Amino acid sequence: MTAVIETKNLSKWYGNVLGLSDVSLEIESGITGLLGPNGAGKSTFMKLVTGQMKPNIGRVSIDGQDVWNNFRLFSRIGFCPEQDAFYADVTGWEFLTGLLRLSGYSGADAADRASRTLKIVELSEDKDRKIRSYSRGMRQRVKFAQAVAHDPDIIILDEPLSGLDPLGKRRLIRLVKDFQSEGKTIIVSSHVLPEIEAMTSRIVMIHQGKILAQGDIHSIRDLIESYPHMISLKCGDPRAVAARFVSDTSILKMSFGPDGRSLVVETHKRDAFFNRLQAVVLETAIEVEEITSPDDNLQAVFDYLVVK
Amino acid sequence: MNPNINPGGPSLWMSFRRVFALFCFLGRKTGKSRVFLLLGLIPVAIAVVVRIVMAGRSEDVVAVFNEILMVFYVTFEIVILSLFYGTSIVAEETEGRTLSYLTTRPLAKTGIFLGKYAAYVTLMVLMVSASLFFSFFIMNGHRFREPALYLMFLRYAGALGLGIAAYTALFAFLGTFLKRAILIGLLFGFGWENVVQYFPGSTQRLSLVHYMKSLMPRRAAGGPLSILLFRLEPSKPAVAVLILTVIAAAFLGLACWLFRTKEYLYEE
Repeated sequence: MTAVIETKNLSKWYGNVLGLSDVSLEIESGITGLLGPNGAGKSTFMKLVTGQMKPNIGRVSIDGQDVWNNFRLFSRIGFCPEQDAFYADVTGWEFLTGLLRLSGYSGADAADRASRTLKIVELSEDKDRKIRSYSRGMRQRVKFAQAVAHDPDIIILDEPLSGLDPLGKRRLIRLVKDFQSEGKTIIVSSHVLPEIEAMTSRIVMIHQGKILAQGDIHSIRDLIESYPHMISLKCGDPRAVAARFVSDTSILKMSFGPDGRSLVVETHKRDAFFNRLQAVVLETAIEVEEITSPDDNLQAVFDYLVVK
Repeated sequence: MNPNINPGGPSLWMSFRRVFALFCFLGRKTGKSRVFLLLGLIPVAIAVVVRIVMAGRSEDVVAVFNEILMVFYVTFEIVILSLFYGTSIVAEETEGRTLSYLTTRPLAKTGIFLGKYAAYVTLMVLMVSASLFFSFFIMNGHRFREPALYLMFLRYAGALGLGIAAYTALFAFLGTFLKRAILIGLLFGFGWENVVQYFPGSTQRLSLVHYMKSLMPRRAAGGPLSILLFRLEPSKPAVAVLILTVIAAAFLGLACWLFRTKEYLYEE
């Protein structure tokens, strides 16, 4: 696949503060999660990609065209900012139709699109209420609506799930995935790891303005060889299983869960362990209820990389 | 994407029109506009009172109107309106953190700035003209049949409009690069602009209000407000119009250039 968004040696600083340092990325269509703690440089990256800032060094391009001051590209971009900010005293409907008109839609088209988008984000019934009377979750949704209402093929979402309740988060995640299935290029940032994990496995980890890692979360996890894989096994007799692995040199550590029914194994050779486990299960006829990888998630990978 | 949208993006003119329409709408809804609309009622109320109190003394009434024109409209209302609307063109977007809604749209930055400037100038001109209309015709009601009266109104409204355009351009320029533009604007609008009128020589030509007053009716010296009168001969009206136009265009050009090239960061 060809890259839709490309950054080369992208650097940005604010006075003496480094915002982003030497970031080279190729982002293809689909969802890319931008993950990092607050102040990591996620918003700076998004502002550079959306042409709100000019890089100090390097370049950012969309389909080969530089973004900075290239406003003709912006009809292809939908941006949902992090900040909870709106024009004073406008209703959801006025806000959305006003911004659609800015994108070049006629009054009738803007009304039609606003109506459809408000329905998608489930705000149709509240469209005539002032935004300042909306709950935080509703404001997040109307902000999301303005980013997608003009049907952009690149959607940049800066912390879109912030302030949403669990149900709202699930709905928005579903919406983002729906847009992905339409072939759009979506960048979503978050500092909450499970949120990103729920949307995509393709991630860019950013910390102190630098890219720590990028790619598939599971592949990244595999690359971290200095850290063992953690595998949790839930079965009726975990001690019997553990006994079979005591002499196995690929096992670094074994411990039992507090419930007495689970065994947590740390190993560098995950595939070898699973092959051996299969044999053990067949030999002992122990019924395995659940196998999970507690550290095969973004939090663990992020912690490992930052410590590294 | 909508196939009806020009894939090449909008022209400067289209950007201007879209932003102008949005901010004509948004500008009307702000609390600031309501306050300034009420402010415009002050001279109307004064006009009503003067007409009642000075009934039958038409020359005195006209003289009072001229004082209102010079003191309220020229040296106060258009300055305060321009100051608040002009500096807010950029400041309200950065302080309200709404700038990204504009700058991530397919709009030329120059079009964004000019569109918002034009929308706010239009709102101010409408507010001032409405106030001027009522106060002018209430106080000059006895001259309804004179065609010259209507020309005079148009001249005053036009001069105030030009003043608004020039002051707003200046304050908008300050707002593009100063964080506390409103304070600097206050010092300029109500400090320098007033004080310089009483400097000897031609220093007063370094103020906008000098050219505004040059377009207003001449007043006789003396009376309680004589301190507000010219110490020097006013500039010729054509020169005043030209200079106000040049000032508006120059500051607008500078402001557009700054807005196009400068990055605006939201304060944490």
